[in-house]
Formats: sequence, C-alpha cells, structure tokens
Amino acid sequence: MAEKLVPVVCAWCSVGCRLYIVNDNGYPKKIEFDYDHPGIPNKGKLCPKGVASFQYLRHPDRLRKPLKRAGERGEGKFVEISWEEAIKEIAQKLKEIKEKYGPEALAFLGTERISVEANYVLQKLARALGTNNVEHPGRFCQSTVFFAKQKILGNPFLTNPFEDITKTKAILIWGYNPAATSPVFFGQYVERAVLDNGAKLIVVDPRKTETAKFADIHLQPYPGTDLAVALAMLNVIIKNELYDKDFIAERVEGFEELAKKVEQYTPQWAEKISGVPAELIEKAAITFATAGKGALLQQMGSTQHANGTLLHMALAALIVICGYVGKEGVMSGAIPGAYNAMGVSMMGVDCDMLPGRVSVEDEEEVKRIEEIWGFKIPRKPGLTYFRIIEAINEGKVKALYIVGVNPAKGAPNSAFVREALKKAEFIVVQDVFPNETAQYADIVLPAAAWYEQEGTIMSFERRVQRSFKAADPPGDAKPDWQIIVEVARALGLGEYFNYSSVDDILREINRTVPILAGATPERLKENIEGCIFPCPDEKTETTRLFLDGFMTPDGKAHLIPVDYEPPGEVPDEEYPFWLTNFTLVGQFRTGVRSFRSKSLEKRWPEPFVMINVSDAAKLGIKTGDLVNVETRRGSLTARAEVTPNIREGVIAMPWHWDFNYLTADVLDKYVEMPELKTAACRISKVEG
Amino acid sequence: MSKKIFIDFKRCIACKACEVACEVINGEAKIRVFEFPDLTSVAFNCRHCEKAPCMEVCPVNALSKDDDGAVVLDPLKCIGCLMCAVACPFGVPKLDEANKIMDKCALCAGRRAKGLLPACVSACPTEALKYGDINDVLWAREGKIVANLKSSAKRGKGENALLVL
Repeated sequence: MAEKLVPVVCAWCSVGCRLYIVNDNGYPKKIEFDYDHPGIPNKGKLCPKGVASFQYLRHPDRLRKPLKRAGERGEGKFVEISWEEAIKEIAQKLKEIKEKYGPEALAFLGTERISVEANYVLQKLARALGTNNVEHPGRFCQSTVFFAKQKILGNPFLTNPFEDITKTKAILIWGYNPAATSPVFFGQYVERAVLDNGAKLIVVDPRKTETAKFADIHLQPYPGTDLAVALAMLNVIIKNELYDKDFIAERVEGFEELAKKVEQYTPQWAEKISGVPAELIEKAAITFATAGKGALLQQMGSTQHANGTLLHMALAALIVICGYVGKEGVMSGAIPGAYNAMGVSMMGVDCDMLPGRVSVEDEEEVKRIEEIWGFKIPRKPGLTYFRIIEAINEGKVKALYIVGVNPAKGAPNSAFVREALKKAEFIVVQDVFPNETAQYADIVLPAAAWYEQEGTIMSFERRVQRSFKAADPPGDAKPDWQIIVEVARALGLGEYFNYSSVDDILREINRTVPILAGATPERLKENIEGCIFPCPDEKTETTRLFLDGFMTPDGKAHLIPVDYEPPGEVPDEEYPFWLTNFTLVGQFRTGVRSFRSKSLEKRWPEPFVMINVSDAAKLGIKTGDLVNVETRRGSLTARAEVTPNIREGVIAMPWHWDFNYLTADVLDKYVEMPELKTAACRISKVEG
Repeated sequence: MSKKIFIDFKRCIACKACEVACEVINGEAKIRVFEFPDLTSVAFNCRHCEKAPCMEVCPVNALSKDDDGAVVLDPLKCIGCLMCAVACPFGVPKLDEANKIMDKCALCAGRRAKGLLPACVSACPTEALKYGDINDVLWAREGKIVANLKSSAKRGKGENALLVL
C-alpha cells in the first residue's frame, strides 16, 4: 500500500478549508478530513463540494494533450498536437499580432481557480508584452465592494478573523446565503454566533434561504432595489441618533453630508420601491445599530448590480457610523466566492492594478516594481473584462489568452460574447476541461487541476496557505504557472521569467508586495495553518484591520453620500416579473467541474424555477410543470418549483446551467460590473 | 457504553455533506437528508437501536452489536432474506443486488477502528450530527438548556429571552 495523505486546501469557495487527499501511487483515491490541525479555519469539517472535490480529477473529459482547432470557431473540432508545437504557435501568433497591431491588441484573462503564483506570472507576462489588458472574473463578482471599500476605508478586505463573528451581537447578511455558498463558514461561525451566543441575525434576500431560516428579521426586497433599504436604514440610524458619536468624531469624515443626503430616504419611501415593510426596515436598523458589536456579510446578491458600488458605499457608511470596525467581535469586508479570489486580486490580475493592489498610475510604486521586474510597465489602465469582449467584437483586441475562465457561459449577455469570440484572430484557452469557451479557441492547453500542483492560495479571511501536490496530472497536462513561463520564454522574455518552482515565484512576490513579505515558502510549508496577511515579516501577521486607523492617507474613513438609482431594468407590463439567480450548495459557478463530480451531479441534477405560490396560482403553474422564462435577451425552459420561500413578483433560478444570456449588459458606472442579479422577465407554462 | 450519532435537526442546513461523505467513504450513501417545504431538514440514518428488531429477526445471526453498540452486518453470514428490512421500522437495511446480501450503516466500523469519527459526522459543517456516548451527548444538551434558562433574564423579556437550541 503506497497510500499517503497529502494536505491540500479545498478548491471550491474561498473559506480556505484544509483536507487531505488520499494519494495512492499518484492516483487521487478519496479524501480524508483534517482533524490534526486545530488552527485551520474549518476545524476538520467540509461541505458536500469539499468532500467530492477529488471526483472530477480523473473524469474522462479531462484535457490530456494540447489541441489545435481543425474546424470553424465554435464547432469544437480539434486535432492533438505536441507541447512544442503548441507553445511555438502561441508565441509566434502573439508576436505577430503585437507587431502588427501593437500590444493593446493582446488581452489576458486570469482566474480565481489557479494559484497565487500562476496568476502572478500571468499578469507579469501581460505587462512584459506591454499591455494592461489583464482581467479576472472578480470583475463580475466583487469589484463593486472592492472599489467602494477601497475608496472609503482604504482597504476592501475582511476586517477580522472568522473567530470574531462568534463574539458579535448582530449579524447583517446582505444578498448572501452562506448556508449554501460557504456551509463550513456558516456552520462553524455564523450559526454558533446565532444559536449558541444569542447574536441577532438580519438577512436581506428576496428568497427565504437556509440562512434566512435562522433570521430574527428577514427583509425581502425586489432584486436590485436593496440600495433603497440601505439608505433607509442609514436614515433611521441617523434620525434616532443611534450612531457611535465618539468613533465618528475621531475617525470619520463626511458624516454631515451623509446625514443631509439620507434625510429624504425614509423607510416609507423605501417600502414603495423595494416592497419591504417600513417597520421591518426600522426594526432591522435599530437592532443592528444598538447591538454594540456587529458584522456585515455580503456577497453576489449585493455586488452584481448596476448600482452595486452605490450600495456598497452606503453599506460601508452603515458599518462605519455604527463603529463596527477596528475592534474585536466585529466583521465586514469583501467575501469572494471562488477559492483564490483574494489571491488573484492581490496579484494585480486587474486592468488598473499591479501586485499588492498598486494602481498602475501610482508612479512611485510602479517604478519600485519596475526595478524588481527589470522591464517597463505600461501606465495606461487596460480594458475591463466586458470591454475586452466588446473590443474583440469591434476588432480592437485580436488575441485573447484565457486561463480557467468560461466567458462563453459565465459572462452577461453570453450570446453576444460567443459572437464576439468568433471574430477574434487568435484565442488560447488553458483549462482542465474543454468548456464552452474552449470551443472557440485556436489552441487549447491542458492544465493540471488544483490538487495536481503545488501552489499558494488566499482565503477571504486573508489567510495565506500552501496546498501540496496530491495527484499526478492526467496525460501531458502541466501546472498553469509552468505553461505560462514556457510561453514567456518562447516569446524571448526568459530573463524576466527565471523560475524553476512555485517557491521561486513566491519569493519574488515576497519582494514585490511588502505586505506579503512574511508569507515565505518556508513559513507556509512549516505552518499548515498559514498566516493572515498583512505580514511584513516572517514573525508577524495582522488578524484585525483598522485597529488604529483606516488605510486612507489621513487614517480616517471618508464617507461618500450616494443617491438612489434604480436597477438597469425593472418589470413593466410586457415583462412583469423580477428575475434573479442563486447558487446551489452542491454546484459551483458554470459547473465545469461540479457537473463532472458524480456525487454532486446526482443530488443537484438540473435547474428549476422558483415561483411564489400566489403568482403560480394566477398563472396556473404547479410544481413540476415545464415553464418558459423569457427576458428581452432570450428564454429558457425548466421545471417549476412552487414555493412560499420566494417573495411575490420574483422568479429565481440557480445559474449554474445556463442563465447569464438572459441578463442585460447594463454596467455599473464605477467598475463596469454587469447587472447579473436582476432582469425583467415573463413566465409561461409550456403546454403539451 | 453505547456510542451513537445524535441528530440535532435545528442546526441542519440541508447541505448534504453527510450524504456525500458517506458515499465517498463507503461507496453508497447510507444517510439521507429529508427536506420539508418550510426549510426544516433532518438527516436520517440507521438508529443502531438498543433493542434492534433487525437483530432479533435475522435467521442466521448475521447482525450483531459491536463494542461501541453499533449494529453491524456480517456479509459472510447474510443470506439476503430481507427479514431485517421487513422488521426495521425505518426501512434502513437495503438489498445489495450485486452481492445478493443486505447492506446497512455500520457506523463506519473501519474508521472507528482507526480512532476516526464516522464519515458523516466528520463532514457535518454545522455539527448537526454529534457522535459520542449517547448519555454524554444528552446530558450536555440538557446542561445547555438549563444554562440558557438560567441566563434568560439577562437577555430581556419575551422572544429576546431565549436562545434557540
């Protein structure tokens, strides 16, 4: 028996759970729970995805050899080629396009699904080629909250370690269903706080979810109108003087302007817009503000709106005026949904950010990084994710190098994305499975999956951990960082990419990003629990942010008063329902990996449409009927589930199967976040 | 000493981690989560009864209690007559059609032998499944309820006074 237990970090959401993969002569046999390290965030526990996380590794669909397109784009016909040929062709094409159209015609997409090191070399390659057109799907996920919190507090990350939520007195969960999306975080921390320590739970969600089941107060706004609820809560807190006066005097700028701005936004006004009873809004605001210690958790239900940045500016103000920052027992900050989302954004896989979230326009910092890298970094911010797709459509971007992303299915208005991809001159897709986007690629590269390579990962707790190689990749698949480095060398950039292991890359990251200087390979290998950044040296970690001040130049929070803006599309006579989407506990994103995990596919096999009992009665729809959901962009058919667990007037569907082509490409004006969480739709029973 | 899995259904969030864990470790899920329209959910597995009817009716003595009090099946003795399934008030023992014998939860006998928790309990992220000496589990629960009642006055009146347990 050559079985051994290899410690890894789970490859789904971003809680950072640790487990073991049972490695049998290189084959990933099963998992084992990690009860050996009391300091890890999950304390041994796992959710269904975590338990099944090894199942897709040996799926027959896995890419095993590099492929070259043999038919038309979108047809999905390929022939196998060797690594040498593939790398040579990629280098040649990228060179040609760069020479012919300039570096701006190149674009790169990174992903939360690969390690910190691989993302670092990917964005470094883009910059070495002279372009800032490098993005990751976080643009469609967390960019609104990142932008708002960065502006107001100077840092968007989670402020406190998980343990602190068990000490809090009120938890406000906004557009987030942790019971389904991060069950371990919910069960080990949130549920303990609520059930065992008596914290009050307030949930804002149009659906009654597994999380809302535990709520003392449940607000059910129409999707995309929650900004009205947030403004009304601010109004109640300020009108009743429930804010933390000392904290505001000492650490907050712009409170008077905020107070003036929210005067008009009464709970009665918010009720008209959002459909949430005014007294409930009032009760929620008073409960939250008078708790003494509070936590605000939010996810895509609040960020994926065209008014998402405005909402998060209001929510940041809510947290700040209550004084729920910079102490023990409070929590707020961005909570990304994919396992290395924190890592990918820290590594600067962003059109206007460099590693360490340094702006490309910050001359002093850019010069410092240039000295380490040894080449000139472009100063002009690149295109955001959706603008890259538009630029391909317009013929401005010619080549696209995609790592582990699936825009042909995941991007908003995905039908348009597919059309745009057909017009590109050259597309490379590097992934573990031939996903929908790979059908449009010229070259498809087989990547090793997460458990098949060593790498570093950052959880949303800001915990930096090392995951080890627990299985051999199938066929000729290679680790992502290695593929990117080979491409860089073939492009003649070898002198800047002189790495022989992930440790080499991490050491360079330690030098490039001062707040990660202490997260060295040696430290991460010795301490399986990892460390919480900022960690400027090997002895330190920062578990709580903002203890002495915010990370703004003057150390104060600068509130930004905002006005209400409606969502980009609201129901009318033609399309009378609000449409929103949600995540199932046993599926992940566009299902590239979770559809191929047999234990998950068996239990969560197909999409369904949630419709309220009274709406269904009016339309004559019963549970199990086939219904057609139609928006201005398209329609889809699924089985109906008639339920009281969704508010009247709202239709909800899980989005893993195919959903995003229904949504409008309305964009947030600050960060170009598309409005994925709301659309106007009509629904009808399919006869026959 | 009788060790059992105690199901604290108020903590359950229907994530089915227990089902998937049992499937991954044992090849087939022997625990199932039942969900109700009001979002109540209960994980349900073999109860390893103190007076197990399946043991009493087995004509070949294929079922017995091990040291932890778990009802386990000896596959070499079982003849697949289904009497245990008939007798079980919950319909827990199932027929393994490939091997023509019965199959049921053994409270992860192999894992317990190594000092590990049963797979479903190991996974359960909310600790809705608790494993241990059943009296210890129940005394702890009772202690919690008493402590909650004692401190309820501090938390105010009416609905604010009690924690959900």
